[in-house]
Amino acid sequence: MSALLSVRGVAKRFGGLQALSNVTFGVGDREIVGVIGPNGAGKTTLFNVITGVYAPDSGRVTLRGMDVTGWAPHRICRLGAARTFQIGKPFAALTVLQTVRIGSLNRIADMAGATTHALGVLEQVGLAAKRDVEGRHLTVIERKRLELARALATGPSLLLLDEVAAGLRPPEIQEMIALVRRIAAGGVSVLIIEHVLEAVMRLSARIVVLNYGEVIAEGSPESLVNDPRVIEAYLGEAYSLA
Amino acid sequence: MVGLDVVLQALLSGLFMGSVYALIAIGFTLVFGVTDIVNFAHGHLVMAAMFVTYVLFKSAKLDPYLSLVIVLPLFFGLGALLYVLVIQRIVDAPHSAHMMVTLGVLLLLENLANLLFGGDLRGVTTTYTTSSLVVGPVAVPLARAGAAVVSLLAVGALAVFLRRTALGKAIRAAANNREGAALVGVDVPRVYLISFSLGTMAAALAGAVIVPFSLVSPFVGHEFILKAFVIAVLGGLGSVGGALAGGLLIGFVEALSSLYISASLGNAIVFAILIAVLLYRPWGIFGQAKV
Amino acid sequence: MSARLALGLAALAAAAAAPLVAGQHLLTAFIVALHAAYMALAWNVAAGYAGQFSLGHSLFYGIGAYASTMLYLKLGLTPWAGMFAGAVLAGLVGVALALGVYRYNVRGIFFALVTLGAAEVAKGLADNWDWIKGPVGILLTMKNAPGEFFFLRREPYYYVALAMVVAMILISLRLERSRLGQYFLAVREDEAAAEASGVDTHRAKTVAIGLSAALTAFAGSFYAQFYLYISPDTVLVFEPQLTMMLGTMVGGAGTALGPVLGSVLFSGLGEALRNLPFENTRQVVIGSKLVYAILLIVILIYLPGGLITLGRRSRRA
Repeated sequence: MSALLSVRGVAKRFGGLQALSNVTFGVGDREIVGVIGPNGAGKTTLFNVITGVYAPDSGRVTLRGMDVTGWAPHRICRLGAARTFQIGKPFAALTVLQTVRIGSLNRIADMAGATTHALGVLEQVGLAAKRDVEGRHLTVIERKRLELARALATGPSLLLLDEVAAGLRPPEIQEMIALVRRIAAGGVSVLIIEHVLEAVMRLSARIVVLNYGEVIAEGSPESLVNDPRVIEAYLGEAYSLA
Repeated sequence: MVGLDVVLQALLSGLFMGSVYALIAIGFTLVFGVTDIVNFAHGHLVMAAMFVTYVLFKSAKLDPYLSLVIVLPLFFGLGALLYVLVIQRIVDAPHSAHMMVTLGVLLLLENLANLLFGGDLRGVTTTYTTSSLVVGPVAVPLARAGAAVVSLLAVGALAVFLRRTALGKAIRAAANNREGAALVGVDVPRVYLISFSLGTMAAALAGAVIVPFSLVSPFVGHEFILKAFVIAVLGGLGSVGGALAGGLLIGFVEALSSLYISASLGNAIVFAILIAVLLYRPWGIFGQAKV
Repeated sequence: MSARLALGLAALAAAAAAPLVAGQHLLTAFIVALHAAYMALAWNVAAGYAGQFSLGHSLFYGIGAYASTMLYLKLGLTPWAGMFAGAVLAGLVGVALALGVYRYNVRGIFFALVTLGAAEVAKGLADNWDWIKGPVGILLTMKNAPGEFFFLRREPYYYVALAMVVAMILISLRLERSRLGQYFLAVREDEAAAEASGVDTHRAKTVAIGLSAALTAFAGSFYAQFYLYISPDTVLVFEPQLTMMLGTMVGGAGTALGPVLGSVLFSGLGEALRNLPFENTRQVVIGSKLVYAILLIVILIYLPGGLITLGRRSRRA
């Protein structure tokens, strides 16, 4: 398996809190990998390190064979890793089309071409009807779809999804799972952080379990359900492991 | 070469004005710390209080210190009114809206004063306006010393109020974390109202006590807001202790720069310091970095 | 679209014909309004589109005024060319300022304060710089020399100001439809999300400030040629900055026509009132400023997007 993304020995500390220590894992081409762990396990910090929001204190991140450790977020995005935000950050005063087109402009410099591309992405995520609605007027699921579309429009080879199912109702979660599957089937690798375990278990071929900033287990969803380390980490939340 | 006595005199003058600046800046920083509102009209509230004090002196022969019994409640009420009518409606708007709306209040106060009093500089002469006490090599100007003492007392009283009283603790809680404070039962809208009123009252107190030795015009507010802003940033926005230290620092810098460098460069120097601080220590000289 | 174009051309024709009916006083008010509209649009590039709320644009205005004037007086360069030199200089200063400020991640009100401080420092330096005559300022002689941007009558100034506003509106519209303009909007809305969309936010912000600074400098040069007197107390104070902000925020930030609307309403009407033969002009002028202050507060509370949003609402209804 050729590694699209490789994270090696990454550590990150905030003041007295060791948010990540010695995290090592990879994502291959056309792979869907999940990252799970209880609240505060360091999932979002891991995303922030991979996408360049924070530089790690130690360790390396490589993407498509390039060492991107310490790169600015926009350069990492241009190289092909696009992320969504846990709390949807729509451009509140911009329309859905404008928002997605900003991502498209990454690959297509002219406005007409970028508009066509953005409309195609909106079609793909089922937001085409909302193209002229401003971000602030969207519902929760629409915001999640918009986040996905914005990231997808940048033309990534790796999509990093931060809690795309959180806050959604069960039927909406099903829709979201189907959508992510379709995107992955189009040849995009996906790294997914998810608190809603159902979503991540059904989507991922392989799962990395974080606890207190460390990788405590890694394997197929089936192998992890009965792993005592995982159950212990989720103690108190174990009911949601169903 | 400047003699030692002149330097001492300048330092004394810096100490006195610095104390008043600190009081003005604390009103400003209190409002910002709690409500997150940058009040550009703060300096013009000082100006408004100066005019009220001036009128009370001219029309009723009321000494500026005695007039405090009218000025302080009046401006507490004015602050509350301003908050309810205007500020409350923009608390959740972006900073650019805060700046523009309070700039509107500034223009309102300035033009109102200009309409009522005209643009000329005016002043009062009290029995102690020119009195001073000679102590060794320096002369202590009484009016300025009085303003400094009152300002420092007010700063101290405010600090005690914020630390010791239930309301003060509620104000600090709301400043730290609005949602958290609301969750533990703090009446956040009321705390905002009171903080804004207190900030306005601090501006008014400073305005009243400098009347015996300062000239007032509708335009003096600009100088005060620039200083308050700089001092508040130097001290770390929202920090009372920082504002006190920042106020004294700016008082000294101003006094010494007028001694050694051209007075017209005074503001430029103050701002150059400010820019350097903002670039290297955006949390202020006396503030602490947030993790 | 073509209806809007027709409306625009009609407005332009009306504006072009205005000097035929307006007296010199009214024409002055028109020039002041157009000048304010131009400044507002130039500031709007940084503050309205890119969300970089600079309070230091008087610095760029002052650079424009002094650059064209000094180049004319010392080197005999016509201000028609000097204003471009001023724009380049202001653009470079803007870029340098932006690089410094963004390098240290100064944002929001701190950005506003640093830029305000930069203008204050510049004023202090100008006051103490003998070569540009310090606080005394520089007086230009009134004469008729169209090749050197001097006219005896108001009409030519009016047409120059009008051309500047039209050009600035076209630049704004072009910006709105360009990749750069879209990047500006993304930066204004949310920098983290912009970065995650592949936008180099530092670069976009720096370009926004540099471009806006250069465009603002042209206004400073125009001011010098029209009023024939510049000093730190007229061009490097907060006044020009205030004019830009009032027009933009009242009319509608981040739009190509809002700043024009706001400026015509605020600066134009103010100037017109100043020149009407009231018995006590002073009170009327101050009174009108008082009304403006109240209007500013009310508009920003109830129409945070500016007056231009009124038009949009009624069009949708």
